[in-house]
Amino acid sequence: MKVLDRLLLNGPLAVKVLTSFIRDAVEMSGTAGVVVGLSGGVDSSLSAALAVRALGPEKVHGYLLPYRTSSPESEADARLVAEHLGMPHRVIDISPMIDAYFQTAIADEKDVEPGRRGNKMARERMTILFDQAKRRSSLVLGTSNKTEILLGYSTVFGDNASSLNPLGDLYKHQVWQLSRHLELPGQVVDKAPSADLWPGQTDEGELGFSYVLADEILCLLFDLGLSPAEIIERGYDERVVQRIVRLEQQFRFKRRLMLIARLSGSAVNLDQEIPRD
Amino acid sequence: MFPSEAMLASAPTMAEPRSTFTLGLAQIDCRLGDVDANLEKHLAWIERAREQGVDLLVFPELSLTGYRLLHLTSRVAMRADAPALRRLAEAAGTMSVLAGFVEASERGVLHNSSVLFGGTSGGGAPFIHRKLYLPTYGLFQEERFFRPGKRLDLAPLPWGRAGVLICEDLWHPELARRLAVAGAKLLLVVSAAPGRIGASEAPANHENWEILTRATSLLDTCWVVYCNRVGWEEGSFYAGGSHVVSPGGEVLTRAPFLDEHLLVTEIDLRDSDRVRWRLPLLEDERNDIEGPA
Repeated sequence: MKVLDRLLLNGPLAVKVLTSFIRDAVEMSGTAGVVVGLSGGVDSSLSAALAVRALGPEKVHGYLLPYRTSSPESEADARLVAEHLGMPHRVIDISPMIDAYFQTAIADEKDVEPGRRGNKMARERMTILFDQAKRRSSLVLGTSNKTEILLGYSTVFGDNASSLNPLGDLYKHQVWQLSRHLELPGQVVDKAPSADLWPGQTDEGELGFSYVLADEILCLLFDLGLSPAEIIERGYDERVVQRIVRLEQQFRFKRRLMLIARLSGSAVNLDQEIPRD
Repeated sequence: MFPSEAMLASAPTMAEPRSTFTLGLAQIDCRLGDVDANLEKHLAWIERAREQGVDLLVFPELSLTGYRLLHLTSRVAMRADAPALRRLAEAAGTMSVLAGFVEASERGVLHNSSVLFGGTSGGGAPFIHRKLYLPTYGLFQEERFFRPGKRLDLAPLPWGRAGVLICEDLWHPELARRLAVAGAKLLLVVSAAPGRIGASEAPANHENWEILTRATSLLDTCWVVYCNRVGWEEGSFYAGGSHVVSPGGEVLTRAPFLDEHLLVTEIDLRDSDRVRWRLPLLEDERNDIEGPA
Protein backbone atom coordinates (compact mmCIF):
# COMPACT_ATOMS: atom_id res chain seq x y z
CA MET A 1 0.00 0.00 0.00
CA LYS A 2 1.36 3.38 -1.01
CA VAL A 3 1.80 5.82 1.84
CA LEU A 4 -0.49 8.45 0.34
CA ASP A 5 -3.24 5.84 -0.10
CA ARG A 6 -3.37 5.57 3.68
CA LEU A 7 -4.44 9.19 3.78
CA LEU A 8 -7.43 8.70 1.50
CA LEU A 9 -10.67 9.87 3.05
CA ASN A 10 -14.24 9.05 2.23
CA GLY A 11 -15.41 12.50 1.09
CA PRO A 12 -19.08 12.37 2.16
CA LEU A 13 -18.23 10.88 5.57
CA ALA A 14 -15.42 13.39 6.22
CA VAL A 15 -17.73 16.27 5.33
CA LYS A 16 -20.49 14.89 7.54
CA VAL A 17 -18.13 14.54 10.50
CA LEU A 18 -16.49 17.95 10.09
CA THR A 19 -19.75 19.84 9.56
CA SER A 20 -21.16 18.16 12.65
CA PHE A 21 -18.02 19.30 14.54
CA ILE A 22 -18.61 22.94 13.55
CA ARG A 23 -22.36 22.78 14.26
CA ASP A 24 -21.77 21.21 17.67
CA ALA A 25 -19.18 23.83 18.68
CA VAL A 26 -21.48 26.70 17.67
CA GLU A 27 -24.53 25.20 19.37
CA MET A 28 -22.67 24.27 22.56
CA SER A 29 -21.17 27.75 22.88
CA GLY A 30 -24.49 29.43 22.13
CA THR A 31 -22.87 31.65 19.52
CA ALA A 32 -24.37 32.99 16.30
CA GLY A 33 -21.90 31.48 13.84
CA VAL A 34 -18.25 31.78 12.83
CA VAL A 35 -15.90 34.33 11.33
CA VAL A 36 -13.02 33.22 9.14
CA GLY A 37 -10.09 34.96 7.50
CA LEU A 38 -10.01 34.27 3.76
CA SER A 39 -6.53 34.33 2.22
CA GLY A 40 -7.48 32.96 -1.17
CA GLY A 41 -5.59 29.76 -0.33
CA VAL A 42 -6.97 26.25 -0.16
CA ASP A 43 -6.97 25.89 3.65
CA SER A 44 -9.13 28.89 4.51
CA SER A 45 -11.35 28.12 1.50
CA LEU A 46 -11.99 24.58 2.74
CA SER A 47 -12.64 25.74 6.32
CA ALA A 48 -15.14 28.31 5.04
CA ALA A 49 -16.80 25.77 2.74
CA LEU A 50 -17.27 23.32 5.61
CA ALA A 51 -18.70 26.08 7.82
CA VAL A 52 -21.13 27.17 5.11
CA ARG A 53 -22.31 23.58 4.77
CA ALA A 54 -22.63 23.24 8.53
CA LEU A 55 -24.34 26.52 9.37
CA GLY A 56 -25.62 28.07 6.15
CA PRO A 57 -23.83 30.96 4.39
CA GLU A 58 -25.46 33.74 6.42
CA LYS A 59 -23.79 32.52 9.64
CA VAL A 60 -20.28 32.47 8.17
CA HIS A 61 -18.58 35.84 7.82
CA GLY A 62 -15.44 36.02 5.72
CA TYR A 63 -12.72 38.64 6.17
CA LEU A 64 -10.13 39.52 3.56
CA LEU A 65 -7.23 41.12 5.42
CA PRO A 66 -4.59 42.26 2.93
CA TYR A 67 -1.45 44.30 3.59
CA ARG A 68 -0.45 46.77 0.89
CA THR A 69 2.22 44.43 -0.49
CA SER A 70 -0.08 41.40 -0.50
CA SER A 71 -0.65 39.81 -3.86
CA PRO A 72 -3.76 41.14 -5.66
CA GLU A 73 -4.33 37.62 -7.04
CA SER A 74 -4.72 36.28 -3.49
CA GLU A 75 -7.39 38.86 -2.76
CA ALA A 76 -9.17 38.09 -6.03
CA ASP A 77 -9.13 34.37 -5.21
CA ALA A 78 -10.49 35.02 -1.70
CA ARG A 79 -13.31 37.07 -3.22
CA LEU A 80 -14.01 34.32 -5.74
CA VAL A 81 -14.31 31.73 -2.93
CA ALA A 82 -16.62 33.94 -0.84
CA GLU A 83 -18.86 34.54 -3.84
CA HIS A 84 -18.73 30.87 -4.81
CA LEU A 85 -19.91 29.96 -1.30
CA GLY A 86 -22.46 32.79 -1.19
CA MET A 87 -21.16 34.05 2.18
CA PRO A 88 -21.01 37.66 3.37
CA HIS A 89 -17.47 39.05 3.28
CA ARG A 90 -15.60 42.25 3.92
CA VAL A 91 -12.14 43.65 3.21
CA ILE A 92 -10.15 45.28 6.01
CA ASP A 93 -6.78 46.69 4.99
CA ILE A 94 -4.22 46.01 7.74
CA SER A 95 -1.58 48.37 6.29
CA PRO A 96 -2.32 51.30 8.65
CA MET A 97 -1.95 49.13 11.77
CA ILE A 98 1.21 47.39 10.58
CA ASP A 99 2.82 50.60 9.35
CA ALA A 100 1.91 52.45 12.56
CA TYR A 101 3.95 49.90 14.48
CA PHE A 102 6.99 49.46 12.27
CA GLN A 103 7.23 52.99 10.80
CA THR A 104 6.18 55.01 13.83
CA ALA A 105 6.18 53.14 17.13
CA ILE A 106 9.48 51.34 16.59
CA ALA A 107 10.91 53.51 13.83
CA ASP A 108 14.20 53.64 15.78
CA GLU A 109 14.82 49.93 15.27
CA LYS A 110 16.98 49.23 12.26
CA ASP A 111 17.04 46.03 10.20
CA VAL A 112 13.68 44.55 11.15
CA GLU A 113 13.86 41.04 9.75
CA PRO A 114 11.03 40.00 7.36
CA GLY A 115 9.89 37.22 9.72
CA ARG A 116 8.89 39.79 12.33
CA ARG A 117 6.75 41.63 9.83
CA GLY A 118 5.10 38.36 8.77
CA ASN A 119 4.38 37.40 12.37
CA LYS A 120 3.01 40.84 13.17
CA MET A 121 0.67 40.66 10.19
CA ALA A 122 -0.56 37.18 11.14
CA ARG A 123 -1.26 38.39 14.71
CA GLU A 124 -2.90 41.60 13.48
CA ARG A 125 -5.24 39.54 11.34
CA MET A 126 -6.12 37.29 14.27
CA THR A 127 -6.86 40.23 16.60
CA ILE A 128 -9.21 41.58 13.94
CA LEU A 129 -10.93 38.21 13.59
CA PHE A 130 -11.41 37.89 17.36
CA ASP A 131 -12.73 41.45 17.50
CA GLN A 132 -15.18 40.83 14.67
CA ALA A 133 -16.14 37.54 16.32
CA LYS A 134 -16.96 39.46 19.50
CA ARG A 135 -19.02 41.93 17.50
CA ARG A 136 -20.97 39.13 15.83
CA SER A 137 -21.09 36.88 18.91
CA SER A 138 -19.31 34.26 16.83
CA LEU A 139 -16.39 31.85 17.05
CA VAL A 140 -13.14 32.24 15.11
CA LEU A 141 -12.76 29.38 12.67
CA GLY A 142 -9.21 28.05 12.35
CA THR A 143 -7.55 27.11 9.09
CA SER A 144 -4.27 25.41 10.11
CA ASN A 145 -3.79 21.90 8.76
CA LYS A 146 -1.95 18.99 10.41
CA THR A 147 1.13 19.34 8.20
CA GLU A 148 1.63 22.97 9.22
CA ILE A 149 0.93 22.20 12.87
CA LEU A 150 3.46 19.35 12.99
CA LEU A 151 6.10 21.37 11.16
CA GLY A 152 5.47 24.45 13.28
CA TYR A 153 4.87 26.41 10.09
CA SER A 154 2.66 29.00 11.73
CA THR A 155 2.69 32.10 13.91
CA VAL A 156 1.92 31.58 17.61
CA PHE A 157 -1.25 33.50 18.52
CA GLY A 158 -1.49 34.38 14.83
CA ASP A 159 -2.83 31.95 12.27
CA ASN A 160 -2.54 29.08 14.75
CA ALA A 161 -4.96 30.76 17.16
CA SER A 162 -8.65 30.03 16.75
CA SER A 163 -11.74 28.90 18.65
CA LEU A 164 -12.18 25.72 16.67
CA ASN A 165 -10.26 24.16 13.83
CA PRO A 166 -11.84 21.59 11.52
CA LEU A 167 -8.60 21.10 9.54
CA GLY A 168 -6.18 20.40 12.39
CA ASP A 169 -6.17 16.62 11.85
CA LEU A 170 -5.99 16.78 8.04
CA TYR A 171 -2.67 16.58 6.24
CA LYS A 172 -2.27 19.00 3.31
CA HIS A 173 -2.82 16.12 0.91
CA GLN A 174 -6.18 15.50 2.57
CA VAL A 175 -7.06 19.21 2.47
CA TRP A 176 -6.60 19.08 -1.30
CA GLN A 177 -8.61 15.90 -1.54
CA LEU A 178 -11.58 17.30 0.40
CA SER A 179 -11.42 20.61 -1.46
CA ARG A 180 -11.77 18.75 -4.75
CA HIS A 181 -14.58 16.68 -3.29
CA LEU A 182 -16.41 19.90 -2.39
CA GLU A 183 -15.67 21.29 -5.85
CA LEU A 184 -13.94 24.46 -4.71
CA PRO A 185 -12.70 26.66 -7.57
CA GLY A 186 -9.86 24.91 -9.40
CA GLN A 187 -7.56 27.93 -9.45
CA VAL A 188 -7.63 28.01 -5.63
CA VAL A 189 -7.09 24.28 -5.16
CA ASP A 190 -4.40 23.86 -7.78
CA LYS A 191 -2.17 26.88 -7.15
CA ALA A 192 1.11 26.66 -5.21
CA PRO A 193 0.46 27.20 -1.48
CA SER A 194 1.79 30.54 -0.21
CA ALA A 195 1.69 32.47 3.05
CA ASP A 196 1.97 35.58 0.83
CA LEU A 197 4.78 36.95 3.00
CA TRP A 198 6.50 38.55 0.00
CA PRO A 199 5.84 38.53 -3.76
CA GLY A 200 6.40 35.11 -5.30
CA GLN A 201 6.84 33.39 -1.94
CA THR A 202 5.69 29.76 -1.78
CA ASP A 203 5.49 27.48 1.27
CA GLU A 204 7.26 24.66 -0.48
CA GLY A 205 10.09 26.94 -1.64
CA GLU A 206 10.57 28.21 1.89
CA LEU A 207 10.32 24.82 3.58
CA GLY A 208 12.65 23.20 1.07
CA PHE A 209 10.43 20.19 0.29
CA SER A 210 7.01 19.52 -1.19
CA TYR A 211 3.90 19.06 0.94
CA VAL A 212 3.26 15.68 -0.63
CA LEU A 213 6.69 14.49 0.45
CA ALA A 214 6.25 16.02 3.92
CA ASP A 215 2.87 14.31 4.28
CA GLU A 216 4.35 10.94 3.39
CA ILE A 217 7.18 11.32 5.89
CA LEU A 218 4.91 12.68 8.65
CA CYS A 219 2.45 9.84 8.07
CA LEU A 220 5.26 7.29 8.41
CA LEU A 221 6.57 9.02 11.55
CA PHE A 222 3.31 9.75 13.37
CA ASP A 223 0.58 7.53 12.00
CA LEU A 224 2.67 4.39 11.51
CA GLY A 225 5.38 4.95 14.14
CA LEU A 226 8.47 4.35 12.01
CA SER A 227 11.82 5.70 13.16
CA PRO A 228 13.66 8.27 11.00
CA ALA A 229 16.25 5.59 10.15
CA GLU A 230 13.55 3.22 8.93
CA ILE A 231 12.05 5.97 6.77
CA ILE A 232 15.45 6.70 5.20
CA GLU A 233 15.86 2.95 4.58
CA ARG A 234 12.68 3.09 2.51
CA GLY A 235 14.43 5.46 0.12
CA TYR A 236 13.40 8.89 1.35
CA ASP A 237 15.95 11.71 1.09
CA GLU A 238 17.94 11.71 4.33
CA ARG A 239 18.28 15.51 4.46
CA VAL A 240 14.52 16.01 4.08
CA VAL A 241 13.70 13.40 6.73
CA GLN A 242 16.14 14.94 9.18
CA ARG A 243 14.88 18.45 8.50
CA ILE A 244 11.27 17.38 9.10
CA VAL A 245 12.21 15.57 12.32
CA ARG A 246 14.09 18.68 13.48
CA LEU A 247 11.22 21.06 12.64
CA GLU A 248 8.75 18.84 14.48
CA GLN A 249 10.92 18.85 17.63
CA GLN A 250 11.90 22.50 17.46
CA PHE A 251 8.35 23.82 17.26
CA ARG A 252 6.52 21.57 19.71
CA PHE A 253 5.97 24.58 21.95
CA LYS A 254 3.59 26.00 19.36
CA ARG A 255 1.19 23.13 19.92
CA ARG A 256 0.92 23.40 23.70
CA LEU A 257 0.36 27.02 24.55
CA MET A 258 0.28 28.55 28.02
CA LEU A 259 3.09 26.83 29.91
CA ILE A 260 2.27 27.28 33.60
CA ALA A 261 4.82 26.93 36.43
CA ARG A 262 3.30 24.36 38.78
CA LEU A 263 3.50 25.34 42.47
CA SER A 264 0.42 23.88 44.12
CA GLY A 265 -1.05 20.42 43.91
CA SER A 266 -3.89 21.71 41.76
CA ALA A 267 -2.25 23.44 38.82
CA VAL A 268 -4.55 24.22 35.91
CA ASN A 269 -4.09 21.79 33.01
CA LEU A 270 -1.73 19.53 35.00
CA ASP A 271 -3.36 18.45 38.25
CA GLN A 272 -6.73 19.77 37.17
CA GLU A 273 -7.29 18.56 33.66
CA ILE A 274 -10.84 19.81 33.26
CA PRO A 275 -12.45 19.20 29.88
CA ARG A 276 -13.39 22.37 28.02
CA ASP A 277 -16.64 20.94 26.68
CA MET B 1 -48.73 -44.93 22.10
CA PHE B 2 -49.30 -41.28 21.33
CA PRO B 3 -49.09 -38.53 23.92
CA SER B 4 -52.38 -36.95 24.77
CA GLU B 5 -53.35 -33.62 23.29
CA ALA B 6 -53.17 -32.08 26.71
CA MET B 7 -49.52 -33.10 27.06
CA LEU B 8 -48.65 -31.69 23.66
CA ALA B 9 -50.26 -28.40 24.54
CA SER B 10 -48.65 -28.00 27.92
CA ALA B 11 -45.15 -29.36 27.57
CA PRO B 12 -43.08 -26.70 25.83
CA THR B 13 -45.18 -23.59 26.23
CA MET B 14 -45.98 -23.53 29.92
CA ALA B 15 -42.69 -24.84 31.23
CA GLU B 16 -40.48 -22.08 29.84
CA PRO B 17 -40.67 -18.36 30.39
CA ARG B 18 -41.30 -16.04 27.46
CA SER B 19 -38.12 -15.90 25.38
CA THR B 20 -39.07 -13.05 23.08
CA PHE B 21 -38.96 -9.36 23.89
CA THR B 22 -38.51 -5.97 22.26
CA LEU B 23 -35.06 -4.45 22.58
CA GLY B 24 -34.32 -0.74 22.25
CA LEU B 25 -30.81 0.71 21.80
CA ALA B 26 -30.70 4.37 22.81
CA GLN B 27 -27.94 5.83 20.65
CA ILE B 28 -27.77 9.21 22.35
CA ASP B 29 -25.44 12.18 22.72
CA CYS B 30 -24.53 13.09 26.33
CA ARG B 31 -23.67 16.36 28.03
CA LEU B 32 -20.22 16.06 29.55
CA GLY B 33 -20.41 16.36 33.34
CA ASP B 34 -24.10 17.38 33.39
CA VAL B 35 -25.98 14.59 35.17
CA ASP B 36 -29.24 16.58 35.40
CA ALA B 37 -29.42 17.19 31.65
CA ASN B 38 -28.49 13.58 30.89
CA LEU B 39 -31.03 12.23 33.37
CA GLU B 40 -33.79 14.27 31.73
CA LYS B 41 -32.80 12.84 28.36
CA HIS B 42 -32.88 9.30 29.78
CA LEU B 43 -36.39 9.87 31.15
CA ALA B 44 -37.58 11.27 27.81
CA TRP B 45 -36.10 8.35 25.87
CA ILE B 46 -37.63 5.83 28.28
CA GLU B 47 -41.04 7.31 27.53
CA ARG B 48 -40.31 7.30 23.82
CA ALA B 49 -39.22 3.66 24.00
CA ARG B 50 -42.31 2.73 26.02
CA GLU B 51 -44.50 4.09 23.23
CA GLN B 52 -42.74 1.70 20.85
CA GLY B 53 -43.30 -1.27 23.14
CA VAL B 54 -39.67 -1.64 24.23
CA ASP B 55 -39.11 -4.15 27.06
CA LEU B 56 -35.34 -3.64 27.48
CA LEU B 57 -33.74 -0.25 26.81
CA VAL B 58 -29.96 0.02 26.66
CA PHE B 59 -28.03 3.29 27.07
CA PRO B 60 -24.31 3.67 26.18
CA GLU B 61 -21.28 3.68 28.47
CA LEU B 62 -21.30 6.49 31.07
CA SER B 63 -24.57 7.69 29.58
CA LEU B 64 -25.53 9.72 32.67
CA THR B 65 -22.25 11.62 32.85
CA GLY B 66 -20.52 11.69 29.47
CA TYR B 67 -17.23 9.91 28.87
CA ARG B 68 -14.16 12.14 28.79
CA LEU B 69 -14.56 13.51 32.30
CA LEU B 70 -10.91 13.61 33.44
CA HIS B 71 -10.86 15.51 36.75
CA LEU B 72 -14.63 15.99 36.61
CA THR B 73 -14.99 12.25 37.27
CA SER B 74 -15.20 12.56 41.05
CA ARG B 75 -17.66 15.45 40.80
CA VAL B 76 -20.28 13.34 39.05
CA ALA B 77 -19.70 10.12 41.00
CA MET B 78 -22.70 8.63 42.82
CA ARG B 79 -23.68 5.69 44.96
CA ALA B 80 -25.97 3.06 43.50
CA ASP B 81 -28.81 4.43 45.66
CA ALA B 82 -28.32 8.05 44.54
CA PRO B 83 -31.45 10.12 43.82
CA ALA B 84 -30.70 10.32 40.08
CA LEU B 85 -30.60 6.52 39.85
CA ARG B 86 -33.75 6.18 41.96
CA ARG B 87 -35.56 8.48 39.54
CA LEU B 88 -34.32 6.39 36.67
CA ALA B 89 -35.56 3.21 38.35
CA GLU B 90 -38.98 4.75 38.98
CA ALA B 91 -39.24 5.91 35.37
CA ALA B 92 -38.23 2.46 34.13
CA GLY B 93 -41.12 0.82 35.99
CA THR B 94 -41.67 -2.56 34.40
CA MET B 95 -39.23 -1.82 31.59
CA SER B 96 -35.67 -3.11 32.01
CA VAL B 97 -33.19 -0.24 31.60
CA LEU B 98 -29.38 -0.39 31.44
CA ALA B 99 -27.58 2.93 31.98
CA GLY B 100 -23.97 4.01 32.55
CA PHE B 101 -22.67 6.07 35.48
CA VAL B 102 -19.63 6.84 37.62
CA GLU B 103 -20.09 4.59 40.63
CA ALA B 104 -18.71 5.62 44.02
CA SER B 105 -18.25 2.31 45.78
CA GLU B 106 -18.36 1.62 49.50
CA ARG B 107 -14.61 1.11 49.45
CA GLY B 108 -14.02 4.72 48.42
CA VAL B 109 -13.03 4.07 44.83
CA LEU B 110 -14.68 4.99 41.54
CA HIS B 111 -15.87 2.57 38.87
CA ASN B 112 -17.02 2.94 35.28
CA SER B 113 -20.29 1.06 35.80
CA SER B 114 -23.54 0.13 34.11
CA VAL B 115 -26.66 -0.46 36.21
CA LEU B 116 -29.69 -2.53 35.24
CA PHE B 117 -33.11 -1.62 36.60
CA GLY B 118 -36.23 -3.72 36.22
CA GLY B 119 -34.42 -7.05 36.16
CA THR B 120 -35.73 -9.99 38.15
CA SER B 121 -33.20 -9.90 40.98
CA GLY B 122 -36.24 -9.03 43.08
CA GLY B 123 -36.62 -6.24 45.56
CA GLY B 124 -32.98 -5.79 46.49
CA ALA B 125 -30.12 -3.93 44.90
CA PRO B 126 -30.06 -3.49 41.11
CA PHE B 127 -27.56 -5.43 39.00
CA ILE B 128 -24.32 -3.54 38.42
CA HIS B 129 -21.43 -4.37 36.11
CA ARG B 130 -18.15 -2.60 36.81
CA LYS B 131 -15.91 -2.24 33.77
CA LEU B 132 -13.15 -4.82 34.03
CA TYR B 133 -10.62 -3.53 31.52
CA LEU B 134 -9.85 0.19 31.72
CA PRO B 135 -8.02 1.41 28.60
CA THR B 136 -5.09 3.66 29.46
CA TYR B 137 -3.25 4.24 26.22
CA GLY B 138 -3.54 6.56 23.25
CA LEU B 139 -6.22 9.10 24.14
CA PHE B 140 -7.66 6.85 26.88
CA GLN B 141 -6.90 7.68 30.52
CA GLU B 142 -9.35 5.53 32.46
CA GLU B 143 -6.93 4.06 35.01
CA ARG B 144 -6.11 7.56 36.19
CA PHE B 145 -9.68 8.06 37.36
CA PHE B 146 -11.30 4.62 37.82
CA ARG B 147 -10.48 1.30 39.45
CA PRO B 148 -11.34 -1.85 37.51
CA GLY B 149 -14.16 -4.15 38.60
CA LYS B 150 -13.30 -7.59 39.97
CA ARG B 151 -16.37 -9.68 39.22
CA LEU B 152 -18.18 -11.05 36.22
CA ASP B 153 -21.85 -11.86 36.83
CA LEU B 154 -24.92 -12.68 34.81
CA ALA B 155 -27.64 -10.04 34.70
CA PRO B 156 -31.08 -11.45 35.48
CA LEU B 157 -33.57 -10.38 32.81
CA PRO B 158 -37.22 -11.50 32.72
CA TRP B 159 -36.48 -13.56 29.59
CA GLY B 160 -33.24 -15.16 30.68
CA ARG B 161 -29.77 -14.23 31.80
CA ALA B 162 -27.54 -11.83 29.93
CA GLY B 163 -23.98 -10.59 30.12
CA VAL B 164 -23.07 -6.92 30.34
CA LEU B 165 -19.74 -5.74 28.95
CA ILE B 166 -18.47 -2.19 28.77
CA CYS B 167 -16.47 -1.21 25.68
CA GLU B 168 -12.87 -2.46 26.26
CA ASP B 169 -14.28 -5.55 28.01
CA LEU B 170 -15.26 -6.91 24.58
CA TRP B 171 -11.63 -6.67 23.39
CA HIS B 172 -10.71 -9.38 25.92
CA PRO B 173 -12.73 -12.24 24.44
CA GLU B 174 -12.43 -14.59 27.40
CA LEU B 175 -15.04 -12.48 29.23
CA ALA B 176 -17.72 -13.01 26.58
CA ARG B 177 -16.79 -16.70 26.47
CA ARG B 178 -17.14 -17.10 30.23
CA LEU B 179 -20.52 -15.38 30.18
CA ALA B 180 -21.76 -17.61 27.37
CA VAL B 181 -20.47 -20.78 29.04
CA ALA B 182 -22.21 -19.71 32.26
CA GLY B 183 -25.51 -19.41 30.42
CA ALA B 184 -25.77 -16.03 28.75
CA LYS B 185 -27.66 -16.12 25.46
CA LEU B 186 -27.43 -12.36 25.08
CA LEU B 187 -24.50 -9.98 25.55
CA LEU B 188 -25.21 -6.29 26.08
CA VAL B 189 -22.16 -4.34 24.98
CA VAL B 190 -22.19 -0.63 25.71
CA SER B 191 -19.53 1.81 24.64
CA ALA B 192 -18.36 5.37 24.10
CA ALA B 193 -15.97 4.58 21.27
CA PRO B 194 -14.10 7.55 19.78
CA GLY B 195 -14.58 7.63 16.01
CA ARG B 196 -11.98 7.68 13.26
CA ILE B 197 -12.45 7.92 9.52
CA GLY B 198 -10.60 6.63 6.50
CA ALA B 199 -11.38 5.68 2.93
CA SER B 200 -14.50 3.62 3.72
CA GLU B 201 -18.10 4.76 3.95
CA ALA B 202 -18.30 3.56 7.56
CA PRO B 203 -16.09 5.10 10.25
CA ALA B 204 -12.82 3.16 10.41
CA ASN B 205 -13.16 2.22 14.07
CA HIS B 206 -16.73 0.99 13.52
CA GLU B 207 -15.45 -1.66 11.14
CA ASN B 208 -13.33 -3.05 13.96
CA TRP B 209 -16.30 -3.08 16.30
CA GLU B 210 -18.44 -4.98 13.87
CA ILE B 211 -15.68 -7.53 13.35
CA LEU B 212 -15.62 -8.03 17.12
CA THR B 213 -19.37 -8.21 17.72
CA ARG B 214 -19.87 -10.60 14.82
CA ALA B 215 -16.94 -12.81 15.81
CA THR B 216 -18.19 -12.89 19.40
CA SER B 217 -21.69 -13.92 18.36
CA LEU B 218 -20.27 -16.65 16.10
CA LEU B 219 -17.78 -18.04 18.61
CA ASP B 220 -20.09 -17.82 21.63
CA THR B 221 -23.30 -18.59 19.68
CA CYS B 222 -25.31 -15.86 21.37
CA TRP B 223 -26.99 -12.55 20.61
CA VAL B 224 -24.62 -9.59 20.75
CA VAL B 225 -26.08 -6.10 20.87
CA TYR B 226 -23.85 -3.06 20.73
CA CYS B 227 -24.95 0.37 21.90
CA ASN B 228 -22.56 3.21 21.10
CA ARG B 229 -23.08 6.91 21.63
CA VAL B 230 -22.84 9.89 19.29
CA GLY B 231 -21.81 13.52 19.72
CA TRP B 232 -18.57 15.42 20.35
CA GLU B 233 -16.37 15.74 23.43
CA GLU B 234 -13.11 17.68 23.44
CA GLY B 235 -12.80 17.56 19.67
CA SER B 236 -13.38 13.81 19.49
CA PHE B 237 -16.57 12.29 18.05
CA TYR B 238 -18.47 9.12 18.81
CA ALA B 239 -19.61 7.35 15.67
CA GLY B 240 -22.84 5.60 16.72
CA GLY B 241 -23.52 2.64 14.43
CA SER B 242 -25.22 0.69 17.25
CA HIS B 243 -26.30 -2.70 16.00
CA VAL B 244 -27.78 -6.11 16.74
CA VAL B 245 -26.03 -9.35 15.78
CA SER B 246 -27.97 -12.61 15.73
CA PRO B 247 -26.44 -15.76 17.27
CA GLY B 248 -25.33 -16.77 13.78
CA GLY B 249 -23.15 -13.70 13.34
CA GLU B 250 -25.49 -11.72 11.10
CA VAL B 251 -25.98 -7.97 11.60
CA LEU B 252 -29.79 -7.74 11.66
CA THR B 253 -30.11 -4.00 12.03
CA ARG B 254 -27.87 -1.00 12.51
CA ALA B 255 -28.46 2.58 13.61
CA PRO B 256 -27.08 5.39 11.44
CA PHE B 257 -23.65 6.82 12.06
CA LEU B 258 -23.24 10.13 13.95
CA ASP B 259 -26.95 10.83 14.63
CA GLU B 260 -29.06 10.07 17.68
CA HIS B 261 -31.35 7.11 17.05
CA LEU B 262 -33.60 4.69 18.89
CA LEU B 263 -33.03 1.27 17.32
CA VAL B 264 -35.87 -1.16 18.09
CA THR B 265 -35.66 -4.92 17.39
CA GLU B 266 -37.43 -8.12 18.36
CA ILE B 267 -35.17 -10.62 20.11
CA ASP B 268 -35.87 -14.31 20.63
CA LEU B 269 -33.35 -15.80 23.06
CA ARG B 270 -34.22 -19.28 21.82
CA ASP B 271 -32.48 -18.40 18.54
CA SER B 272 -29.31 -18.89 20.55
CA ASP B 273 -30.37 -22.45 21.47
CA ARG B 274 -31.27 -23.19 17.87
CA VAL B 275 -27.78 -22.20 16.74
CA ARG B 276 -26.14 -24.13 19.59
CA TRP B 277 -27.99 -27.32 18.64
CA ARG B 278 -26.26 -27.36 15.29
CA LEU B 279 -23.05 -25.57 16.32
CA PRO B 280 -22.06 -26.94 19.77
CA LEU B 281 -18.95 -24.83 20.24
CA LEU B 282 -19.59 -24.09 23.91
CA GLU B 283 -20.33 -27.76 24.70
CA ASP B 284 -17.10 -28.74 22.96
CA GLU B 285 -15.02 -26.27 24.96
CA ARG B 286 -12.10 -28.09 26.63
CA ASN B 287 -10.23 -27.04 29.76
CA ASP B 288 -7.85 -30.01 29.85
CA ILE B 289 -5.47 -29.07 27.05
CA GLU B 290 -1.89 -28.69 28.22
CA GLY B 291 0.86 -26.34 27.03
CA PRO B 292 2.41 -24.38 25.52
CA ALA B 293 5.26 -24.73 27.97
